[in-house]
Amino acid sequence: MATAFFELRGISKYFAKVIANQDVSFSIQRGEVLALLGENGAGKSTIMKILYGLYKADEGKLLKDGREIKIDSPKEAMELGISMIQQHFSLVPAHTVTDNIILGNVHGIIDHKLFREEIKRLAELYGFELNPDDFIRDLAVGVQQKVEILKALYQKTNLLIMDEPTAVLTPQEAENLMGFVRDFTAQGNSVIFITHKLKEVMSVADRIIVMRAGRVFGDIKRAETNELELSKLMIGRDLNWVTKEDRQESIDQEVRLEIQQVTLQEKTGVPALKDISLTLHKGEILGIAGVSGNGQQELCEIVCGAILPTKGKILLDGEDITERKIRARIDLGIGYVPADRSSDGMIMDMSIAENMLLKSSYAKKWQKRGFIDKQKLNQYTWQEIQDYSIKAPSPETIARGLSGGNQQKVVLAREVDNGEKVIVFDQPTRGLDLGAVNHVHQVILQERAKGKSVLLVSTELAEIFALSDRIAILYKGEIQGVFNSAELTTEKIGLLMAGFREREVKSDAG
Amino acid sequence: MINLLSRTIMMGTPLLFGALAEVIAERTGMMVTAIEGIFLMGAWAGFVGGYLSGSLIVGFLSAMLAGLLVAGLYGWICIYLKQHQVVTGVAINLLVAGLCSFLYRVIFGVPITPLTVSPLATIPIPLLSEIPLLGPILFNQTILTYIIYFLAPLSYFMLYKTSMGLTIRSAGENPEAVDVAGINVLTVRFLTVLLAGVMGGVAGAFYSIGFLGMFTTNIIGGRGWIAFAICFLGNWNPKGAVIGTLAFGFAEAIAIYMQSIGNSALFPNELFIALPYIMTIVLTISRKSFNVPAKLGVPYLKEN
Amino acid sequence: MQAKLRDLLITNILAIVLGIVASGLMLLFLGKNPVSAYSVLITSVVRDSYTFADIFVKATPLMFTALAFAFTYKANLYNIGAQGQFYIGAVIAAASSLWLQNILPGGLVLMITLLLTMVGGGLWGAFIGFVKARYNSNEFLVSMMSTYVALAIMNYLLRTFLIETKAEYPQTDALAASVWLPRIIPGTRLHIGFVLAVLACVGVWVLLYKTPLGYRIRAVGYNAGAAEMSGINAKKLYILAFFISGALAGAAGFTEVNGVQHMLVQGFNPDLGAAGIGIAILANGNPIGIIFAAILFGALKVGGTIMGQMSGIPSSIIELMQGFVMVFVILSYFVRTWLENNREKRKLQKAVAK
Repeated sequence: MATAFFELRGISKYFAKVIANQDVSFSIQRGEVLALLGENGAGKSTIMKILYGLYKADEGKLLKDGREIKIDSPKEAMELGISMIQQHFSLVPAHTVTDNIILGNVHGIIDHKLFREEIKRLAELYGFELNPDDFIRDLAVGVQQKVEILKALYQKTNLLIMDEPTAVLTPQEAENLMGFVRDFTAQGNSVIFITHKLKEVMSVADRIIVMRAGRVFGDIKRAETNELELSKLMIGRDLNWVTKEDRQESIDQEVRLEIQQVTLQEKTGVPALKDISLTLHKGEILGIAGVSGNGQQELCEIVCGAILPTKGKILLDGEDITERKIRARIDLGIGYVPADRSSDGMIMDMSIAENMLLKSSYAKKWQKRGFIDKQKLNQYTWQEIQDYSIKAPSPETIARGLSGGNQQKVVLAREVDNGEKVIVFDQPTRGLDLGAVNHVHQVILQERAKGKSVLLVSTELAEIFALSDRIAILYKGEIQGVFNSAELTTEKIGLLMAGFREREVKSDAG
Repeated sequence: MINLLSRTIMMGTPLLFGALAEVIAERTGMMVTAIEGIFLMGAWAGFVGGYLSGSLIVGFLSAMLAGLLVAGLYGWICIYLKQHQVVTGVAINLLVAGLCSFLYRVIFGVPITPLTVSPLATIPIPLLSEIPLLGPILFNQTILTYIIYFLAPLSYFMLYKTSMGLTIRSAGENPEAVDVAGINVLTVRFLTVLLAGVMGGVAGAFYSIGFLGMFTTNIIGGRGWIAFAICFLGNWNPKGAVIGTLAFGFAEAIAIYMQSIGNSALFPNELFIALPYIMTIVLTISRKSFNVPAKLGVPYLKEN
Repeated sequence: MQAKLRDLLITNILAIVLGIVASGLMLLFLGKNPVSAYSVLITSVVRDSYTFADIFVKATPLMFTALAFAFTYKANLYNIGAQGQFYIGAVIAAASSLWLQNILPGGLVLMITLLLTMVGGGLWGAFIGFVKARYNSNEFLVSMMSTYVALAIMNYLLRTFLIETKAEYPQTDALAASVWLPRIIPGTRLHIGFVLAVLACVGVWVLLYKTPLGYRIRAVGYNAGAAEMSGINAKKLYILAFFISGALAGAAGFTEVNGVQHMLVQGFNPDLGAAGIGIAILANGNPIGIIFAAILFGALKVGGTIMGQMSGIPSSIIELMQGFVMVFVILSYFVRTWLENNREKRKLQKAVAK
């Protein structure tokens, strides 16, 4: 076997509260596509940030072409030909494409015209459609990713690291990206991509490193493995997956929530939501599929009352609640699990009990003579901690100290109780490990069985398919169509998510 | 009237020094809340250096050094130790206030009459100062004003046309992007804060040895904060800072003018003294669509 | 948890000691021996009850201004204009006392005056909260600037409408003894305002940690977005928090004018606001901690003044001590986080080694 292009040997990394990596060793060859597979929190990003010089390893060493090297900063990594595209892009939204690409690569007075031409040529070379003068904040996520890739190419990269590159892409866009990866490695370059999606791994990787809890649990050639083996390595145990068969098929036909021709005009004049009409029945899960940023969050916030629509009506059990604001809607029994729990759903520096109180601080049930009835609140919280098996020693535990999964369970426990009639879930399993995902899915199905209505927004198609009775597709603030889940295939939904209308999809697929 | 406008330019000079310093630092995400202390320390060191050496140049150099030291302390605590910018600024301002009056006493004891130096003289520029109207207003000023005529466009050019400016602006918008590009965010921030210290020190020294010719403990009296406010109101842009400074310089010139004429008993000339402060409040309220650097005031943390 | 508390106590005490030592070293510049200066200070502070009681007299307004900062701080707002709210309170206290002292019985005047100072300071503060809520103004800037405006108003009134009958100095006439705050220890200056201040600290603590309103204020402070999403009107709370904060600072004007000065003098107590912030930081924003931190600052103040009288040390030594203590307290925040992180990391490495 040839000397590895890059090699990591016995790397360990300790953060203040977690072991991020422990004795991690693997290598990458020239021209190879290496997949780093593992659940969220398995330490994949950390090990790559060490290779890129963003973090400093506590133990272990790095080698290039068999010789030991030191990488203490991204600058040094770049000089060795390494580039990394972070999961959350490191672009400056307020600057142009050009400014973002040349950041750190120019000295002295900037000749904007020259760089603009240079970047235009590079983009054409790789077939990217990009205007160097566009501001990043105006670009769709898929395009932003191209900017990131271009930035790496501009630096003459030989090893490109991509952290969860397909998370924000439509299936078709993801396919294009994989095409780029194949071309790029065909020229003798190498790519490492971090992912938790088995399908991607099987379609593009040459070799797979499986990580779990900060350690390497497998180093296998793609040709010698299969999805089942990989998933076992990745999770370390078997899971009872929620399947369609787990739920009763009876749909109560009674209408609970109606959204009638709702339009939301943004200040810029562009509608975030356009003429949306949806009906949600009792005991039904309505899935909202779509690439993130197509109006999902606005839709959720309209239902829970955080924003009021510019046009249209919202009815709950036939009663017009369009003008009611959040507090009134909480009292009406609408629960909301927001996508970003740390910014919208929880107060990280407060205790679990205090987080339970968040939406009902006005309610008399938690008060005794004007003061907070702490005893009652703690008892209730302790009950919830046990019901949802939240790993926390007491109701007084500060939320920040919990794992992401346990934090999500706190929000879930609260909103399931708040949402007596309707519960809105926005990306309820994003960033959770598979065990927690499974638990969340089971809770959602239980609430459905109790006759509650569920609006489930997710960008994970598997999740939408596994849980929804009906599926609506959102694209640029418009509903592309509402379907019974059995009517849809991955290919069809992918085209709908990319903006094709139902008729076009049929003729394309037909 | 010409006198009033000339005064505007003169009193605006230190404010613009401070405001430009603040603009550059805040673009990297660092509010320099120690600006009031930096001004005061500059005024003190400028006077001490100038008085003891008999040379105003030495005075200004000591002011720059003093400003640098205060800014260095502030930057170290806020950038490297990641402490709160507002809280740290308040503490340092208090410390500097104590330090200045204590050390003044240490050096000069309790003088019977206030110690003075002769302040910076105005230098009329040949030919240019002869231009009617504009000449006496713009070109019969002290050397500091002429320096700021260069510094203002220079800082604009630096921020928008050079790689250094791009790095500075990026550090305040998305420090991760700068870090990933292989540039040390903390160093960028620290250097701009030091620069702000040097410029703020000069601004402070203007009040002691550039204008009054003496030092008192309340010589700055919130003017550092005015510079801080001008940066906000000027939308974090050197152009805006220039406009804001002219407005504040004018307000201050009016205040001085009013004090000299308003001697009737009930005439509220105190309110004219407060005019710049009232103006800040009014402008803060009426100013819309701020272009705040996204990460202003947020320490850059990287888990490690 | 134990280790955390230990760190808190040790680092805070260390910060205070270092602050005092650092300012002691500055005395060397004056050619004074800091050890003897400090020992003179300590013996004279405890020698007579008048001086000792003065510590608590000085601590009284500091508790109020520290509470004013801490209260808005809990809502993640920065009220650095407590000095101005204090001046407004002081002006109202003097005006109301002078006006009512010949009309109504003393006790009633005191009650009305307290109420008026709090409402006045509160409204002055609420204005800041209002422009924050309504126009998204930067409350840090507005509160800072409002202090200078308050100062100008006070100076104007002292030169015109409120000036003493002789019209010689910019100060008011002395208040009648009937509207002085009663002394609690005879032969000292310690007045009932101290008890009010302690009660205010306890009251603020109960409000913040035991009532739904306080809970909401803290929730907004930690995460305004999540609070808004939960049906809490953050803007209304901004105004309310600033009102309460201003009212507390205004009350300091009452205790100073009616309790200590018995008149209003131009430019008195110019550093109450800044010292209040220092105390709030030292106490980590905890209202109960503020009681002790304010007493410490009161002691520094009394001690500094005595040092000035006894050995010719300038009174700016007080500001110096306060400044050094504050800077060291901020450094201690860093040290605590660092100790905590190291402890966790060691725990992990030990667990791995097993």
